[in-house]
Amino acid sequence: MTTLISTDRVNIIQKNFQQILIRGDGKDQFNQIINKETFLQPPSKNLEIKTSDKYIFAKNSFDQWTLVYLVEQDYKEIIRTISNLNSNDEILASDYSYGQVYFEVSGENKDEFLNKLTQFDLRNKKFPDLSMAQTLIARIDCYIYKLNNKYIITCNKSYEDYFKERLTDLINL
Amino acid sequence: MPALRNKDCNYISNKEIKITFDGKSYSAYEGDTIASALLRNNIRLIGRSFKYHRPRGIYTCGIEEPNALVQILNEHNEPNTRATVKKAYDGINISSQNRWPSLSFDIGSINNILSPIFSAGFYYKTFMGPKGFWKKIYEPLIRRTAGLGKPPKNFRSKSIHQNHNVDILIVGGGLSGLIAAKKLIDTDNEVLLVEQDSFLGGILKNSNKVKQIDGKNVFEWVKETEKLILKSKNIKILKNTLVTTYNFTNHLIALEDKYSGKKIDVSKSELTLHKIRTTHTILANGHIERFISFRNNDLPGVMLASSFEKYIERYGVTPDEKPVIFTNNSSTVSLVKSLINLDCKPSAYIDARKEEDIEDETKEYLSKNNILFYPESEVEGCEGNKKVEKVYIRNSNNKISSINATMLCPSGGFNPDIHLFTQSKGLVKWDDKIISFKPDTAFQNTITLGSVSGNYEFKNLCNEINKKLSFLKVGDLNLEIETNIRDNLSIKELWETKTNKKSKWSKSFIDLHNDVTTKDLKQAINEGYDRIEHLKRYTTNSMGTDQGKISSINSLGIVSKILNKKIAEVGTTTYRPPYAPLSFAAIAGRSTYEYYDPERKTPIHNWHIKNNAIFEDVGQWKRPWYFKKNETETMHQAVQRESKQTRQSAGILDGSTLGKIEIKGKDALEFMNLMYTNAFTKMKPMTSRYALMLGEDGMIMDDGIICKINDKHFLATTTSGGAPKVFAHMEEFLQTEWPHLQVYLNSITEQFTTFNISGPKAREIVSKVFSDIDFSNEKFPFMTFKTFNYKNTQARIMRASFTGELGYEIYISPQHALELWELIFKYGKDFDLVPYGTETMHLLRAEKGYVVIGQETDGTVTPIDINFNWMIGKKKKDFIGKRSLTRSDTAREDRKRLVGIVPLDKSQFIEEGQHIVECENLPSKIKTPIEYLGHISSSYHSPNLNHCISMAMIKSGNKLIGKKLFVSTPKGTKNIPVEIVSPVFIDPENKRLTS
Repeated sequence: MTTLISTDRVNIIQKNFQQILIRGDGKDQFNQIINKETFLQPPSKNLEIKTSDKYIFAKNSFDQWTLVYLVEQDYKEIIRTISNLNSNDEILASDYSYGQVYFEVSGENKDEFLNKLTQFDLRNKKFPDLSMAQTLIARIDCYIYKLNNKYIITCNKSYEDYFKERLTDLINL
Repeated sequence: MPALRNKDCNYISNKEIKITFDGKSYSAYEGDTIASALLRNNIRLIGRSFKYHRPRGIYTCGIEEPNALVQILNEHNEPNTRATVKKAYDGINISSQNRWPSLSFDIGSINNILSPIFSAGFYYKTFMGPKGFWKKIYEPLIRRTAGLGKPPKNFRSKSIHQNHNVDILIVGGGLSGLIAAKKLIDTDNEVLLVEQDSFLGGILKNSNKVKQIDGKNVFEWVKETEKLILKSKNIKILKNTLVTTYNFTNHLIALEDKYSGKKIDVSKSELTLHKIRTTHTILANGHIERFISFRNNDLPGVMLASSFEKYIERYGVTPDEKPVIFTNNSSTVSLVKSLINLDCKPSAYIDARKEEDIEDETKEYLSKNNILFYPESEVEGCEGNKKVEKVYIRNSNNKISSINATMLCPSGGFNPDIHLFTQSKGLVKWDDKIISFKPDTAFQNTITLGSVSGNYEFKNLCNEINKKLSFLKVGDLNLEIETNIRDNLSIKELWETKTNKKSKWSKSFIDLHNDVTTKDLKQAINEGYDRIEHLKRYTTNSMGTDQGKISSINSLGIVSKILNKKIAEVGTTTYRPPYAPLSFAAIAGRSTYEYYDPERKTPIHNWHIKNNAIFEDVGQWKRPWYFKKNETETMHQAVQRESKQTRQSAGILDGSTLGKIEIKGKDALEFMNLMYTNAFTKMKPMTSRYALMLGEDGMIMDDGIICKINDKHFLATTTSGGAPKVFAHMEEFLQTEWPHLQVYLNSITEQFTTFNISGPKAREIVSKVFSDIDFSNEKFPFMTFKTFNYKNTQARIMRASFTGELGYEIYISPQHALELWELIFKYGKDFDLVPYGTETMHLLRAEKGYVVIGQETDGTVTPIDINFNWMIGKKKKDFIGKRSLTRSDTAREDRKRLVGIVPLDKSQFIEEGQHIVECENLPSKIKTPIEYLGHISSSYHSPNLNHCISMAMIKSGNKLIGKKLFVSTPKGTKNIPVEIVSPVFIDPENKRLTS
């Protein structure tokens, strides 16, 4: 966990989360398999997320889900879960833990700040709490999860330096 | 500061500042624009005109200014800055432009003397010949004289972009905008109010036309309203922000000058480009006063009447104590009142209207104050040396008299500022009452309020706003607006006055910005350019950054008279965005220099930097191009060293950028058979295969290695640059063409870092690093792979090679990538392991005859063209591109085919991109086309063969092996004699590969 920006209005912390990307048909059997392996029920509505202190489970599209672990898990367990999920023909689970980077954005001015980097409409009426989106931030493809008072943003690890530079650059301008 | 100061002006601070104009220092006040500061110091001559270099002064008081463009020397030489908009600050250094050697004595003004020959269409008619003159004489000369200011100095702008999503955008914080905003206070609508000025109020602050609102002094009312808006939770105000563009889907662009009236801090962003997406747009952006064309209407000292009043009321500076006022409407009486309030008096009041059409109140006021009054009269022209000195008046009896005056203030009426409305594709209509176009049908969710909608009547304003905003279901607001003038504009149509031309150099201008005269319009029509869009381009009228803000309707008026048509029939030209110039820096925002394009780095990037890697861009990836051994080593030397060492011992490449896709599902095998040309059915699990992907046209799209875990689970690699395209291509076919297939895909490019170890010592190195794995040929043959556990992560090793040497590709989690890379080097040291970059990779693969997608292929190459017939699963029922491979063109024999080429003289080097021909020498002058057989696609000096090797695409190349041909050179006419050979230069038997 590294604090990138800490002002009275915007705070950005880089987090060490882990993630599994799951694809499937979202039908009963799929839900049962996911539930059996993760003890979680996948969200059924597009762009909806279910969350607790430990995880974010989001439905990205009609056949894609992300399971983000907010508390570090034993990596062996994650690999085991993926392997078990992949033993079913109707599911593809891929480990996204370390190929992604994770940022928590909070603070009163978080929307205005992020809107310097993205055109995405972050207003509550268009992007309500407990929903997610895939959009361009600083011209790179990101996932953004809206929790009650903060956003979790993930992007490919290869963009890590560029993304962090863009965030810190803007706060100084 | 000798110019009279209006002490009642509340908007200018008392703080004195120093400005420099053309090297001379002047005093001004904080809050002044450059124009108001110069007028305060009685400076009237500001610049020279675009074409004729005629002396020009300040014509207006806002963004519509066509003349007073200056260069800001202390802001990286920023040229073409409107002096009427740019705020002055202590220390600002301004220069006039388009003059040499000085503003008062400009050699370029010779153009004015020659002006009789520079009429409309001069450029089109003049530079037709003689042949060769255009390139050598005309173009260089025109380029040297073109433009106004000098180019800015190198400056790294830190402009940023800010996106907004709102329910309602209000453009303009004048009276109409403020009333609209007040109605929306504390409603559910999120509102953004954008004002181009540094304060709200618009006309309330620019004139004395409105006396009181709801019994309150206008200054108090604006202050109170602004306070209420700021207190509200739903309205945000942006000042110093000009809306320049109105795009489709209610997307608007606005530019904020964050250092208005302040010296730029180069460490901060000086401009913000606001990108606003809104549900409804309220345009309350007012109107623009237009001029009247008369002889020498461009002399310094001619200034629009309402602008003159704005300088008095807003900036507290009176440009002249005794101006002549020339009008065709009732609005100018408020200027007279402003002057009288300051104990000044116009030298004359010339009104083009008949006496009976002029309000009694005006006549009485003029008479009471003993002002010379000329009803039913016109200004014939004015004269003076670089300034107005004498004004000529033609009275109702057609007699011309003159009076001495140093300023002349014309008012030709007002145009609703419909630029943004028309940009939004709204339709306009002609209104005979205001003699102008006004908004009619909105194309988007656009509402126009106040004078932009053609409503100049203050008393009707609240009704109009209540009515037009009723759909928002917010309460009505009724304000009592008390004015100092009559609401009725009572305008008479007048575009140009009759001229008694006194010299060839007297001109009546229609477009001051582009030096277009009324005579040019007439001449263009005589020459057949009677359509307004043609006429605009032929004469350059209303073009450029000015976009005819004060003159476009006047030109329509003049043209309609000549054509004997109604103005509505003549139509308007298109007002193009941006409304006012936007700098490239603002448009680019932070997407410049280091942020020009997002950068992708592999987990090994910092190691590469420490080891002197020189990077190249591959898509957005930063890939090591080569590694410099020492400061003096050249790229050629480095690549030769890396290549030789890899073939002799071992080399390692960071191949993390390769695209990787995981494919799984019960129909995965069928899907793969359809996507690639290869057949995967008989492929054994845990083996891999080089595969080709075609487009529907049968042309090679991408390549990669496919690992088959089992029939339901595959891993595919793609080229680095092609990864997103291939993934999207697969998804598209799954979702649109083959939705019945149960297959899922995940991009895992970033989840695995990839290293490629090649060379005769590769096995020994990997055996040391991964001591648990048996790398023997028997246990780990070519094109197989193994998965294993590495520090509790899943890893994979594949035996494959892109160099032609014994090779292994290692796939590891990015978490452990760097430590593994360093571990490989630790063990590799004893085996002379060398890191190599993409250039060496290209050289090594060329030696082996491997193709690179995008180098040997260019979207027009089939697998057969590159001798990959063996990769086509001929028994397969179908795959993407199969049908296209049998088309007559793709199946013809004489298509370009891949071959190898070596120079007969081994000391010669062949350049990539050169042509292959049959002739030894090219004629010094080519009169007939020389037959082109093909081109060189790759060429390198092979350190292992010690001569140049090339790959080429040649017509029927497969039949030319062993033949002698010639390759052109970048210089000279002598071609290089070459032999056509097989493209595999090293180890054609694959002994090294399978060792």
